Amino acid sequence: MIFIAIIVGCILGAIIGGVAPIIPYSYSGYLAIAIIAALDSVFGGMVATIKKNFDIMVFVSGFFGNAILSILLTYLGQKLNVDIYLATIFVFVSRMFNNLAMLRRYYLEKITNRKAKKTQNT
Amino acid sequence: MKNKIKEFTKNINKSELIMSIIIGLICIILVCTISIQFKTVEETNITDIENMREAELRTQISSWKTRYEETSKKLEENNNTINEYREKLNNDQETEELLDKELAETDLLVGKTDVKGEGVIVTLTDSEESTITSSDLLELVNELRYAGAEAISINDIRITNSSYIATVNATLIRIDLQRVTSPYVVKAIGNPTYLTSTLNLKDNGFIDKYKNSGKNITLSTERNIQILKNSRDMEIKYLREVEEQ
Repeated sequence: MIFIAIIVGCILGAIIGGVAPIIPYSYSGYLAIAIIAALDSVFGGMVATIKKNFDIMVFVSGFFGNAILSILLTYLGQKLNVDIYLATIFVFVSRMFNNLAMLRRYYLEKITNRKAKKTQNT
Repeated sequence: MKNKIKEFTKNINKSELIMSIIIGLICIILVCTISIQFKTVEETNITDIENMREAELRTQISSWKTRYEETSKKLEENNNTINEYREKLNNDQETEELLDKELAETDLLVGKTDVKGEGVIVTLTDSEESTITSSDLLELVNELRYAGAEAISINDIRITNSSYIATVNATLIRIDLQRVTSPYVVKAIGNPTYLTSTLNLKDNGFIDKYKNSGKNITLSTERNIQILKNSRDMEIKYLREVEEQ
């Protein structure tokens, strides 16, 4: 059910994005930061799912909150003449790598367990 | 068919449905923004000035500034050279005016232009006793020149430095290819007192000498004598300027 929702959502999003107009170039930097934050939230949600402590409210608030906060921070950085967006990107990307590592280990363990079970059965 | 759908809907947990809807919406938002961003980055021309980052703009401004300074320097240099040329041009104009003046004076003297001024008119007429010869005219011209005449004409033929007065076939007097006959009106522009006094010298003067030999001659002073230009062209064939070393 959820997988169907994800696939349908991705397809619909791609279609809407293809139709939507482009935004001014000066705003695309903010949008990029927001996308990075959102992706970080998505990976965080995936990790939470495998840890079995996934909460939809936490996920949604993190998704939007991180995006908006990162945009605000970038804006603030521009006003202060400090490249805060670099720090934001650093934090989010390192967290993404951490989360990806966790996912990788989880699935590797699962596969090896399954193989071990198979060998035990035979 | 309907039952199947009902069973399917019954099977679906309500909270799971809400969750999947929320996740689907989030997927829509995420993919939509990502694709918009892709399109923006792809379609934006980075060299457009509105899309440049501040640092790039700053470097560009500084480079333009240096170029502006260079160009303004060049402009100043060019202005200076223009001023120099202008000064030169003014000098040239002055020399040109000087040369023009000289040329006009030379033309006046050489007889290339009509001239006028005060002077004397000497009229020689053939009488029954004697006729006027070319040597008489030559002598008169010579006397007039001696008295400081600046321009001389005989019967409105301007006497120039290359004019000749000659007798052809012992009967005709020719001046510069043209035949002249009596009365010979000799006009001379110059200081009238000098001219008249030179011509009127007692006994040795031109007038007295010729009157004594029985020739018909009159002298008058005029305020405004007009002498026409000599239109004969002189060709220079043998003359060369001596090159000074």
